[in-house]
Amino acid sequence: MNGFILGVAMFILVLVGALLYRVWFGPTAIDRIVAANAIGTKTTVLLVLVGLLFDDVGMFVDFALAYGLLNFMGSLAAARYFQRSEKRAEAGLRHPLPVRSKEDAS
Amino acid sequence: MSLFFDLLSGSMMITGLVFFVGTVTGMLRFPDFYTRMHAGGKGDTLSTILILLGAAIHVFEDFFYDPLQWGVLLVMVKILAIAAFIMLTSPTSTHALMRAGFEDAHEADETVVDKDQDGPSLEELQSGTWEERS
Amino acid sequence: MIWQLDLILLIFLVITALISLRVRDLLGASMVFGIYSFLICLLWAGMGAVDVAFTEAAVGAGVSTVILVATVYHTRRVTGGHKRASGMKLLSLLLMLVLGGVLLHASGDFPALGDPTSPANNHPVAQYYIEGSYQDTKVPNLVTSVLADYRGYDTLFETVVVFVAGIGILAVIGVPTARMRREEVCGDTAQFGEDSDLIILQTCRLVVPVLQLFALYVIAHGHHSPGGGFQGGVLFGASYILLALSGGLREALRRLSESMSFRLAACGIVIYAGFGLLCMALGSSFLDYAILDSILPGGVAKARSHSMLIVEAGVGFTVTTILFVIYANLATRGKLEGGL
Repeated sequence: MNGFILGVAMFILVLVGALLYRVWFGPTAIDRIVAANAIGTKTTVLLVLVGLLFDDVGMFVDFALAYGLLNFMGSLAAARYFQRSEKRAEAGLRHPLPVRSKEDAS
Repeated sequence: MSLFFDLLSGSMMITGLVFFVGTVTGMLRFPDFYTRMHAGGKGDTLSTILILLGAAIHVFEDFFYDPLQWGVLLVMVKILAIAAFIMLTSPTSTHALMRAGFEDAHEADETVVDKDQDGPSLEELQSGTWEERS
Repeated sequence: MIWQLDLILLIFLVITALISLRVRDLLGASMVFGIYSFLICLLWAGMGAVDVAFTEAAVGAGVSTVILVATVYHTRRVTGGHKRASGMKLLSLLLMLVLGGVLLHASGDFPALGDPTSPANNHPVAQYYIEGSYQDTKVPNLVTSVLADYRGYDTLFETVVVFVAGIGILAVIGVPTARMRREEVCGDTAQFGEDSDLIILQTCRLVVPVLQLFALYVIAHGHHSPGGGFQGGVLFGASYILLALSGGLREALRRLSESMSFRLAACGIVIYAGFGLLCMALGSSFLDYAILDSILPGGVAKARSHSMLIVEAGVGFTVTTILFVIYANLATRGKLEGGL
């Protein structure tokens, strides 16, 4: 079972590495924030799994709970950054979403 | 019995991993901010909850074999508390980020915007001027 | 020490450092620093150093990211990069490479990780702490007993440094006249700001009490599990910052105004130093808790355990309030209104 949990943890880490691609190349800032939020949630899981590997989950679980709470706060702060944006009114948008057509999609 | 618990927790973890693979694929391949956010927010939450439930069942196994070991039960309750907490707050942060992108006027890719005709408004219905295009 | 996990984490650490150089957008860069903190905290958890990892998670990945974002809000978001590599940049690159090479070469002389015969593990002081700490203080968590009892003098001055940081921020960017007006106005109104979102508001109303209770648990349980005054104080301060993020800074200031914050922070230091002076008044030296056996119940070891708890509570007071003050001032450039 220990080997299985180690395998799960390593697999999660490899996928987190794939999310780092989105952090690097995300065309907008919010893409990076979303990827960072996902990586943060997975860190909570990884902490519990590391606790299972050390066979002393009680030590790591308080820590994982605190970490989950703080990750939420980071995403809220980053989202609030954009909340006062005036771009929607400035652009004079009438349709709810601006649409990017296929020709000028990069 | 031990095999049953191991299989149960292992299968929940593997299901969580499958959802996480879906999440990462969505975040890398979708064409547009809104769809990527969808994949990230939903899949991430569900995969986290499943993997944590698998871990909780693995811890419960110790309690099952030796009841009255309240320390172990407390650890299991804490892991379930983390899962419940993620279930509450991760969708909220998804909502907050989606709203942030909306306020910042991000563009939606053409393939995901619905170009069908909208339904009639109340005035159009009452005056009978709405005609249906195919 | 699970080498597979550590290897992957170290590779990601290097990649994240490269990303943080490449990203020109300051907001994205603060998020990348947050990711860097997660990875470091996982590395430390993998080594078994859970108290350090807890502090890194609480401060680096949580509060530090929020403070960076709140500060970037007031700046132009993109760093204006000079595209050409000037002579000074090449010179500093060369110096960094030389220094890094020297450090890497020197690290070959270190003992192996966890080696029981290394000088740090063999020193009699380390042996004394590991063997004698539980008999002396009846506190299972070795880190807490060293921080709050054997080396309590250092922790007192760390708390004072945190307090001075808060005063420094106030002195540098605080705007006195706007603040006085704000303190008068902030007393009465009972509605949330119009720019707050309903879903976020309701979720935070559920989360903040749990966070505060958990912070108090972490402070109190620091004797038996990783935690202690500093980590619990950071979580408590984070709960006020969460209140400010969801309902507006005005709401958080209504519950914990700035003058009250400084009074509580000073209270924390008075508790800590006062305990030391109490020990002196009873006839022993500064911060020697054993003498408090005469007024606290339970024997000498229990007296040390109880006084450690009270002293950690003092640290918690100071850290909570100063974190909130730092956030409030940095987010609003000292005026306590507007801003993030």
